[in-house]
Amino acid sequence: MADVSLAMPLQSAPNYNEAVVKKFLIASVFWAVVAFLVGVYLATELAWPQFNLGLSFINFGRLRPVHTSAAIFAFGGSALLGTSFHVVQRTCRARLFGGEALANFVFWGYQFFIVMAALSYVMGYSQSQEYAEPEWHLDLWLTIVWVAYAVMFIGTLMKREEPHIYVANWFYLAFILTIAVLHIGNNLAIPISAFSSKSYSVASGVQNAMIQWWYGHNAVGFFLTAGFLGMMYYFIPKAANRPIYSYRLSVVHFWSLVFMYIWAGPHHLHWTALPDWTQTLGMAFSIMLWMPSWGGMINGLMTLSGAWDKLRTDPGLRFSVTAVGFYGMSTFEGPVMSIRDVNALSHYTDWTIGHVHSGALGWVAFISFGAIYYLVPVLWKRSGLYSLRLVSWHYWIATLGIVFYITSMWVAGIMQGLMWRAYDQFGFLQYSFAESVVAVHPYYVIRLLGGLMFLSGALLMVYNLIQTVWSRTTEKTFVAPAVLAAAGE
Amino acid sequence: MDIEPSDLIVGLLMAALGLIGLILASGAMDNEMYVFGLSLFGFACVFEFGLLRRHFDKLDASPHG
Repeated sequence: MADVSLAMPLQSAPNYNEAVVKKFLIASVFWAVVAFLVGVYLATELAWPQFNLGLSFINFGRLRPVHTSAAIFAFGGSALLGTSFHVVQRTCRARLFGGEALANFVFWGYQFFIVMAALSYVMGYSQSQEYAEPEWHLDLWLTIVWVAYAVMFIGTLMKREEPHIYVANWFYLAFILTIAVLHIGNNLAIPISAFSSKSYSVASGVQNAMIQWWYGHNAVGFFLTAGFLGMMYYFIPKAANRPIYSYRLSVVHFWSLVFMYIWAGPHHLHWTALPDWTQTLGMAFSIMLWMPSWGGMINGLMTLSGAWDKLRTDPGLRFSVTAVGFYGMSTFEGPVMSIRDVNALSHYTDWTIGHVHSGALGWVAFISFGAIYYLVPVLWKRSGLYSLRLVSWHYWIATLGIVFYITSMWVAGIMQGLMWRAYDQFGFLQYSFAESVVAVHPYYVIRLLGGLMFLSGALLMVYNLIQTVWSRTTEKTFVAPAVLAAAGE
Repeated sequence: MDIEPSDLIVGLLMAALGLIGLILASGAMDNEMYVFGLSLFGFACVFEFGLLRRHFDKLDASPHG
């Protein structure tokens, strides 16, 4: 065996395209701050509506898609595209396919889409479909960029030097291909003119709603789950310096997750004109999703077997592992809320907002923070992070912020649901809608406090990362080969 | 120094997209299409200049000049 390994030629690492990964990481951190800042402003508007300032372009209806798009597509998307380019190159031992120009096109084209979409929202242009607000011309632009991204990722997989395709790439690939199908399917529309931004969806009524939530839930399933699971399967083993707990479980996790998620959309349309059997189908598949979700969570957590002590010394890894915990919690809560009778209470209330944010802040943002804290010293060739203490502060401030956010929204949401369904002794509704708005006001203020804490933590991260790149204390000390030879190494 | 196929393909694609942006802006029926069309044209121009800059930077850096 020793002879065989000695006979193998020593392979040097390919000349990886790290510039595009760096650019996506910088964009991701920038958009994270923007998304959290807009979120905090919106929370202020909800608590005190006079913060609208009478300006149409910063009213809640226009800023809300700016917040969701900045969080999901700008912050999360940039993190996903950047890490996927890093992971696919490293695990395939191949430079990105398509050359520098295509990589730059994907990066700048994606950022152009984000800026144009945000601009269109504040100007009042929208398809009025949640998470799919951009009008037809922006959808077409994103399709071009996404196809270029898919070509780069798949091209790199095809020219790989490793025989095996590592499981993280499977999750990234599912994210890329499914989002392409969802985006095109849900945005099929006929513009009133090639020179007008206004268009009408090819589907109408309940069919349109069904397609929208087939898209909407799978944006959660394949953008916010599958893509970030790819991140989990690469960065947790790397940071913990341990192999995945069970590679077989990761493959079962992948196939069961992608098969089941695609059917779960109708649970967003309980008690609507959608046929009952379709609602039941969505509910049943949502409940079945418990199994793959928790299988993946167990796989992520058990990867730390024998390395739990690293959580005390590596706060970046603490972010990743806590993210997996939040993943487990959100994927437990989601199926509960998809049960039709639970949904009768939870739907249209702030419970949904709390659920979404336990996933978005606890899972998506935390797993991204973990990856960013790991990647920045690696990509910028630094000896380590500028301050582990600041990472630790970030961790605790952000965690406490999430706790404030989601608990206040649970209480507000369940209270709203109960107030809306309460009848008096004569069979009349006991509360007016306005009374329920007044009742939740204190919880909106607590939510604002949680958001502010999360934003503060992110600002600490920005300072820490800038210092990591610029500070002289994180410079790698170069040891000349002659010194090593003298030391007998 | 030869032009990389990737530079050529992306450069032509961006030129076509920039032209489409200009056409969209010229006939725009609303503010959104006007802003998008002009922005697309501007984006394409800046991207093309970036391609040219990188091409000549590489040319300068190569040992044969």
